[in-house]
Amino acid sequence: MPDNANADGRKHPQGTGRTDVIVIGAGLSGLAAAGHAIRAGAKVRLIAMGWGQQKVAPGWISVCDRAEDDVIAEVRGHAVLHPEHPYGLAGADAMLQGLEQFRALAEEAGLFYDWRQKDGHNMRLMTALGAIQRPAMAPRAMAYGDLTDVSGPVLLVGFTGWRDFYPEMAVNNLRAQGFEARALWVTLPGVDQYWDPWPNELAQSFDNAAFYEAIARQVQPHARDAALVGFPAVLGQDNHNDTVQRMAEQIGRPVFEIPTLPPSMPGHRLSRRLTHWMLHQRARVQVGHPVVRARVENGRCLSVEVEALGHINTFYADEFILATGGLYNGGIKSDDAGRLWEPLFDLPLVTPPGEDRADWYHERLLFEHGHPIHRDTGVRVNPAMRPLNAAGEPVLENVAVIGQMLAGFNPLTDGCAEGIELATAYKAVQTALQLDTQETTR
Amino acid sequence: MSTTTVEVLVIGGGATGAAALYDLARRGVRALLVEQHDLSTGTSGRYHGLLHSGGRYVVSDPATAKECIDENRVLRRIAPFAIEDTGGLFVATPDDPADFVPKWVAGCAHAGIPIERLTAEQVRAAEPALTPRITAAYRIPDASCDSFDLIHAFVEAARHLGSDAWTYQRVTRLLVEGGAVVGAELEDTRTGAQRTVHAACVLNAAGPWAGVVAHQAGLDVQIKLNRGTMVAMNTRYIHTIVNRLRPPSDGDIFVPVGTVCVLGTTSIDTEDPADIHIELWEVSKMLAEAEPVIPGIREGRALRAWAGVRPLYVPPEDRGQEAANDHEVSRQFAVIDHAKRDNLRGLITVVGGKLTTCRLMAEHAVDVVLQQLGKTIPCTTADEPLPVEEPRRYHELPHRLHKLEHGERGGQLICECEIVSRPQLEAAIEAYGDQPVALDDLRRDLRLGMGPCQAGFCGYRAAGILQQQRGDPDGIGTRALADFVEERFRGVYPLLWGHQLRQFYLDELIYRRVLGLDALIQPLNAEEQADAG
Repeated sequence: MPDNANADGRKHPQGTGRTDVIVIGAGLSGLAAAGHAIRAGAKVRLIAMGWGQQKVAPGWISVCDRAEDDVIAEVRGHAVLHPEHPYGLAGADAMLQGLEQFRALAEEAGLFYDWRQKDGHNMRLMTALGAIQRPAMAPRAMAYGDLTDVSGPVLLVGFTGWRDFYPEMAVNNLRAQGFEARALWVTLPGVDQYWDPWPNELAQSFDNAAFYEAIARQVQPHARDAALVGFPAVLGQDNHNDTVQRMAEQIGRPVFEIPTLPPSMPGHRLSRRLTHWMLHQRARVQVGHPVVRARVENGRCLSVEVEALGHINTFYADEFILATGGLYNGGIKSDDAGRLWEPLFDLPLVTPPGEDRADWYHERLLFEHGHPIHRDTGVRVNPAMRPLNAAGEPVLENVAVIGQMLAGFNPLTDGCAEGIELATAYKAVQTALQLDTQETTR
Repeated sequence: MSTTTVEVLVIGGGATGAAALYDLARRGVRALLVEQHDLSTGTSGRYHGLLHSGGRYVVSDPATAKECIDENRVLRRIAPFAIEDTGGLFVATPDDPADFVPKWVAGCAHAGIPIERLTAEQVRAAEPALTPRITAAYRIPDASCDSFDLIHAFVEAARHLGSDAWTYQRVTRLLVEGGAVVGAELEDTRTGAQRTVHAACVLNAAGPWAGVVAHQAGLDVQIKLNRGTMVAMNTRYIHTIVNRLRPPSDGDIFVPVGTVCVLGTTSIDTEDPADIHIELWEVSKMLAEAEPVIPGIREGRALRAWAGVRPLYVPPEDRGQEAANDHEVSRQFAVIDHAKRDNLRGLITVVGGKLTTCRLMAEHAVDVVLQQLGKTIPCTTADEPLPVEEPRRYHELPHRLHKLEHGERGGQLICECEIVSRPQLEAAIEAYGDQPVALDDLRRDLRLGMGPCQAGFCGYRAAGILQQQRGDPDGIGTRALADFVEERFRGVYPLLWGHQLRQFYLDELIYRRVLGLDALIQPLNAEEQADAG
C-alpha cells in the first residue's frame, strides 16, 4: 500500500502517509525549505504542480541589488527600518543563514554558488543585452563573469544560426558603459541535426566532450587577448562543472555563462540536482500534481489532498509550508473583475488599493518603479512566517507562507527576490522544526 | 525641400484611400497616396475583421444594409485572397426582444440578403460552443476579411499601373491658390524631412482625420468620432461569425479570425481621432456580453485588445438629433464636393461608411474627382479580381504549419506563436533597404509577436537579427526592442488578469531580470527628455 490514506480517513494519520513537513511548491523557496528541513533531519514531502520561477529566472541570487558596498550590512539596515518587509520579518540573520544553508545544500547536491568573499559586495554580471545586474551570489560559472575587477576585453561567443543569443547587442551596450568587448560567432558541430534547439537541448549537447571541445577549438585562437570569455548559459546540463572547467582549460581563459531566454539552465540544473539529492535522502517529491484541497480544523491544517492520475490522495503532516509562488506561479489567482484570492487556504490577502484593476499596472511595462500589483499583492505573515488576518492575528498555527506568496516586495524591480525566498524558507523551517536560530555577528 | 507633381493626391492609407488609388489607376489617372503611419494602421486596421452581409443594419439603417450585401458579393469576387468564407449566424437568446426577429427577417428580405433559418440541432452541430439556450438562428453570408491583405492588394495593384503610395508622410498643410487646392506639404513622421506635392485634385480619405485635413484648407467637415473596442480571445471558440439577433448594441459580434476569436464592440463618442485608449469596463462588458452566448468564454485567455475610431458621417439634416444609441447612427457614407459646397475646387472629402463598402465609397469619390478633372471614365474595380501574384496569407497559421510540416524547411522559428521564420524576418528587414524600420513594422508585415506571448521571446530574437543585419554600432536592436515591448504592452494593458497577467509577469521578468532592458533604456529615455527640453 502506498503511503496515502483512504478517502474516508480510516488509515490513521500517524501512518505512512504522514511526514513531519509538507512543502507545497517547487520554486527556489520550496526547494530550499524542503532541503533545509531534510538536512535538519525531518521527514519531508514536497508537492508541486510544476517547477517554479528558477526555470525562467537568470539563475543568480539577488539579495539586495542596490547595495553599493556590503550587502549584508545594507539588508541589516533595511530590516531595521522596515519591520513589515519580508527581510524585517525574517530578520537579516535568517537571510544570511538562508544563503549559507542554500550554498551548502547546493554543494551537497553538486552545484556551486559563489559570492565576493573578499569584500562582501554585489557582483557586476552582464545580461545577454549587455546590461549590468548586481546580484550578491551566483552559480560559479556566472560568478566567473564578475566584471567588477575585469581588466581587458570580454569576448562574447555566439553560435551561428542559434536564435537565442546575439552577442553584438551585448557588445554595443557594454562598450557604451565603458567596457571593452568583442563578439565572435562559432559553428555548432552537427548543427544540421537541430531544429531550433532550446537552451536545454543545447546544454545536453554540451555535456558531451567532443561537442564542447569542437567549440573550444574555434574560440581558442580568438581569445588570446581576452580577459574573460562569455557564453550563453547552456554549458552542460548534468556535466556542467566539468564542461566549464575543461573549456576554460582549452581556451586558456576563464569561461563564464550569461543568462539566456527561458528555460534557464542554471535553474534547470538546480531543480534536477536538488530533486535527485532529495530522493536520495528518502524524501518524497511529487512534481506535476496539484494540491486541490486542504483540510483545516480549529486553525490547524490536518492534511492536503493531491490530485494525481485522476485520484485524490490525502497526505498528513504536522507542519505545512506554502511556497506556491504568488500571482505568477498560480499561488494567487485573479479575474477580470479585479478579484484576487489564494485558492488553497483562502488566506487573507493584501491587495492593491482600489475596487477594480485600474491601479494594478502602470501604463508602461518597464516603468522604473514597477507595477503595484507585484508589490502590493500577497499574504501578510508574522516573524514566524504564520499567515495573518487584517487584524494582525495568525489564522493558521501550523502553516508557514514563504517566498513570492508574501506581500511587501516587488520581485521584478526590488532586486531581492531570491534573498527573500531563501531567508523566509530558512525562517519557516526553523520555526516549524523549532530549531534554534543561529546568531551571527557578521 | 523636394517637390513632386501628380494628377491626384489621395490622403489616407486605409481601405477607402487604397481602394481610391486603385480605382483612379484603373481609370488611367496616376495618383499618389500618402499615409501618416503605415498602411492599414488607422480605423481600417483596428476593426474586428467582419465582412458584413448587411444583416446588422437591416432594421436601423436599410440603405447601408443594401450596400453591404452588394459590396460583400463584389469583394468576395475581386479579393478572395483576403476573405475567409466563414459564413455568419444571427442568434437570438431568451434575453433578446422576441419582437425583433420578425422585423429583422423582413428587413433582410427587403435588403435582398439571403438568410436560412436553422434548427437548434443544426446550430449545435455547426457550433457546439454556443449556448443551448438559442431561441432562433439564421445563417447569413457574413465572412471574415483581412483588411491588411485587402489594402496591400489595392496598393500593389495601383503601383503596377504606375501609381504610388508613401507611408509615414503627414500632411502639414493643404496648398490653396486662386480658389483651389493645388497640393499639400508633407512631413516625414520619422525623419522630419519636408516635401511638397502638387496635384490637380486632392482626395481626402483620412477617415477620422478627415476633419483635420479639411480644416487645413479652412473648411469645416463634421464627423462624429466614435470609438469601439475589440478583444481577441486566444481560442477560436467558433468557426462561424456570430451576431446577436437584437438591435445593435455593445459586444454583440463574435468573429473567428485566424486562430483567435474577436469580440466586438463598444461605442463611445470621442473628440480625438487618435483616441484609441481602452477602459477596463469595456473589456469586462464585452466578456459579460459574450458569456451568455459562448458559455465559459470569461474563463478564457484574452490575448489583446484594441480600439478603433469610427468616422461616422452625420448628414446636415440629422444634426442635433439624438440617435437611440451610437450603434444606430447611420453607417452611410458621403462624398463631399467642396467645389459645390464651399466653392473651393480641387478638394473632395469622403467620410463615413464601412470597411465592407470601401470599394463603393472609392467609386463614388473618384467619380467626383474625375468630374473636377473634366473626365468621364467609368469605374471598373468591380469587374475583375485584384491581381495578386502570391497571396500573402500570413494570417493563416494552418498555411504556415502546412508548409513547415511538408518538407519546406523555413529555417529557424523566431516567433513560435505565429510561425515566423528567420528567412522571412531577414527578407522583411531587407525590404526596408536603408529606411528606418521598427519591430512593429515587421509585426505588421509578418505577424511577429502577435501570439500568446506577445513578443516575450521573439522580441529579443528579432532585435538581435535586426542589429546583426543593420550592423549599427549605436545599438538599433536595443532601442527597437524597448519600443516594441511598450507597444505590445499597450495592447494587453486592459487584459492583465488570470492567464495574461501571468504571461506578462514572465515577459516583464525576461525584459527586466534576464535581459536588463530597463536599466539600458533609462539613460536613453533621459537623453530623449533632455533633447525634448
